[in-house]
Formats: sequence, C-alpha cells, structure tokens
Amino acid sequence: MILLCGIPSESPLAMVAKELDALGADYRVLNQRKVAALDIAWQVDGSGIDGKLGLEGEAFLLTDIGAVYFRLMDDRILPELDGEPDGSPARRHARGFHDALLRWLEIAPGRIVNRSEPQGSNGSKPYQAQLIRQYGLQVPETLITNDPDAVLAFQREHGTLIYKSISGVRSIVHALREEDIERLDLIRWCPVQFQALVPGPDVRVHVIGRQVYATEIVSDILDYRYARRSGGSAELRATELPAETAEKCIALTHGLGLAFAGIDLKMTPDGEFYCFEVNPCPAFSFYEANTGQPIAHAVARYLADMD
Amino acid sequence: MVLVLCEEADLAAAWAGERLRLRGVDVQIVTGADLAAAGRLEHRIGRAGATFELELADGRRLSGRTVRGVLNRLSFLPSACLRRIGGPDREYAAQEFYALYLSWLHSLQGPLLNAPTPQGLCGNWRHPSSWIALAAQVGLPALPYRQSSRDDPAARWQAAASPAPATVFVVGGRIVAEPAVHREFDEPCRRLADAAGAKLLGVDFASATDGRWRFMGASVMPDLMRGGEPLADALAEVFLA
Repeated sequence: MILLCGIPSESPLAMVAKELDALGADYRVLNQRKVAALDIAWQVDGSGIDGKLGLEGEAFLLTDIGAVYFRLMDDRILPELDGEPDGSPARRHARGFHDALLRWLEIAPGRIVNRSEPQGSNGSKPYQAQLIRQYGLQVPETLITNDPDAVLAFQREHGTLIYKSISGVRSIVHALREEDIERLDLIRWCPVQFQALVPGPDVRVHVIGRQVYATEIVSDILDYRYARRSGGSAELRATELPAETAEKCIALTHGLGLAFAGIDLKMTPDGEFYCFEVNPCPAFSFYEANTGQPIAHAVARYLADMD
Repeated sequence: MVLVLCEEADLAAAWAGERLRLRGVDVQIVTGADLAAAGRLEHRIGRAGATFELELADGRRLSGRTVRGVLNRLSFLPSACLRRIGGPDREYAAQEFYALYLSWLHSLQGPLLNAPTPQGLCGNWRHPSSWIALAAQVGLPALPYRQSSRDDPAARWQAAASPAPATVFVVGGRIVAEPAVHREFDEPCRRLADAAGAKLLGVDFASATDGRWRFMGASVMPDLMRGGEPLADALAEVFLA
C-alpha cells in the first residue's frame, strides 16, 4: 500500500493521487487536517519495525505500507488548531502524532519520498554547494563574508554579483546594486552570501528515481519565481539535458539520499551548467502545469514500484 | 594545527586538548566565546574548492590552509554566538549562522571528529529511535524502542540523556572499551560508527534484567574523560597519522 501524507487539496499531493488512481494503485491519504482522527504506534527492535496507523477509523499495519509521499505542513499552524492554547490536549495530540509519524518515516523500510534527514543539506546553501561539487556539477563562485572590502574586491573580480540567504530560509535573489553598496557596512553584523552572476536561462531539473525532467525558464526577472509579483514574465518549456549532465543530476540526487529532487541549474551561453541548489521537497506542479511534463506520473510510478 | 572547538565550560574538551598536547599534537583550543567575538570572516566556494579564513579577537587567525584536523565539540551554534543575536530577525539570523558554521566546518581538511551535519555541528544528533534502528542493523542487541501519538516528543530526548553504566568509544576505527563490556561488541560498535558516519562515537550500554549488556544509545559528543588515557592515545593516533 502507498501512503500520501499532507493536505489532500495541495497541488503536488492531489496530482500524485490522481496519477495513482489512473494506475489503479492501492493507496490511502493521511489528511493532516483530520489530525484529531489520526493515531500511530510503533516499535523498533532487532527484528525490525512494526506498528499500526489509524486513519479516520481505519487501521493499517505499518508493515503493509511500502511507499510514502509526504508533504506535511507545520502541525503547529494547522487551521484546525487555531485558537487552541499551547499545551491543550488537541495540540499535544497533534504534536505527538506528527513526531511519531516523522520518526517512523525516518527508519521505515520502503520508498519514502523523501526522508527528513537527507533533506537537511538544503538548510545551508554553501554546504550543499560543496556536496554538489563532489558530483561533478559546477557551482557559482561564492563569497560569504562580514567584510565590505572583501565584497568590493569580489565584485571587481567577477563583475555583477547577486546576494541571497545562506540558509534554507527562502529569500528573493537580488543583484547587488549601488544602493546596496551604500549599506554594505550592515554585513558586519551578520555575514551575507554573494555570488558571481551566472548568465543564461534557468533550468529546473526534476529527478525521480532515474527519470529526469528538465524545464527551461526564460524570464526578464532575476528570480523567476517572483516574475509575476515583480511585473515581469517567465516562460517555461520542456528541454533535454546533455546525457552527461542528466547523469550527474541523478547521481547528485541519489548521493544526497533523495528519491525525488528539484535541481536548480543555469545554462550559460557557452553551454556550461552551473548548479545552485537541490530542493528536496520540490513543488513540481508549477512546472508540470506550464509544460505538461509528466512529473506526477513519474512520482506515482516510483511509489508504485513501476519505474 | 589541530583545532579543539568547544564551549567555554566543556571540561572534556579542555582535558582532551591538554592530553593531545602532551602527546605532541599542535593544538589550538577555540571556544564559542572566541568564535562569537571574532572579526573578519571570509568563506569561499567555487571552481577552486572551498576556503575559510577567520580572525579571532585575540589576534589568532584560523585558516583552512593551516588546520590539519578538528576535535569538534560544538553540537550547535555556540551559546556566546546566540547571545549576540537579537531583534525581530533573531530566528532568521540564527539559521544563517548555523548554515555558515555547517559550511565552514565542512570545508576544513584533515580528520574531523566529528564532521558537521545538518542535524548537528559535531555529527548527526540522532533521535533515540534512529540509534536503535541503526544498532539493530549492525547486530547490537538493544531493548525495543516504542513511540506513539500519546507520547510527549520532548520526553523521548530526555530519557536518552541519562548517564550510561558503560561506554565503548570508537575513535577512527579503534575501540576503547570499559572492561565490563564484553569484547564481542567491538566489531558491531565499529560498524555502528561507520553507519552513523562518525569517526568518534560513544556507544552506551546498560545491563538488562537478565544480566546481559544491551545497547542504550550513542553520542557523537561523548564524555571523553571517561575514556581516560587510552582514549587520549587513540585521539592522538588519529591526529598524528
């Protein structure tokens, strides 16, 4: 049996559910918003892991669950817990359930998309960049510093720079402009990450198992994710990666311990690829909706062990 | 130069630093307060690899080019660093600093005991259930671990923090064991450290009601003093190799 965990109406989860229906796969949905009607109990010892999962009145053996796709939201901000004081029975149950579920997912056998631990590399972009290099993909020249003079020297060396968060906290990528240089002294308080601007279109690569779907994005905005908000445009189209680059993306995904990843590349005018980030919980629906690439289908086939 | 990174009150780190010096290791102890008060920092990643430079307030200079190993006793951002972060962006700033520490520690060359991970700066700070699952994989007998929706998640960590009756240390593949623990556990303990990606691991055992030793848990930041001089020998062997 396959388990989908999260909010059923959330696009990626809903799209995978639809594809599982089409495949005729045996699956159930763990609806986080019904947390009051969910429970789990399990144990691990030398003979393995077993236990039970209760889903809104139905009980399942954990040993019968062979694959899980989960996109859980922070249980503390579930709408169903609005107005519940800290430590209330409903909040305690939600926290206890989610912790027990997540701990089980970390050690459960089977196809778990993706376990939490390997998602951790995304919490530090420069750390992940060092891992990315090990798999043969180039990374942009990067400087993290609290020294304004070092930034100016780096700018003289590389030309246009961009800056963004060091951690996994989402930030809008900006070019370093004159008005930013005027306030550069502020970095003395908290180091900032600067990168040499890599020219060329963005390429988002989704890897699931050994399937690779590359999407080229041409945008007049530096951070295409915010094109609409910034009054710009972003055009997405399916593309093919050179075989060597596709293999590197597969090796990187598996090397990081992920089954499914969204890899952010840029293709320079010289045809070189630079890797910026590996997203371990990709919201692929935006790319599929714009290109028709069958990513949800590939996820469903992977979960159903049909890849 | 071998760095010993630790909080100011880490007696085990001070003990290890002293013992390593006595064995001829060029040791620099750098505390969390030293790191928090540091000045200029520069960390680069690119075609040429990764570099790191940091100027400490006392004039010392840390450089990836001169560090030849690290005894890493920082499980998270140093307390002194956290105390310096305030204001409405405190949580964001802490995440930025953690991401930076993770990266610069990863960039250092030589033996890292232990290498940083996203789940802990001195190694993966695993949940008790994860240690039991790993122990089962490598053939260490362990008492069952149970968890359910009814449990308080925080209590699961607290239970794991109790002191262990006996500890086996794995240091770069070498075993330093207390005499009470049977040597049949040496090889599984080595495999556990390998599986955990830890060059330094304290593996805790307790005697069960049947009198047999059972795996209790493991730590990537064990109490080094408990290992005594044999542990200091093993640490020196790693850094002098």
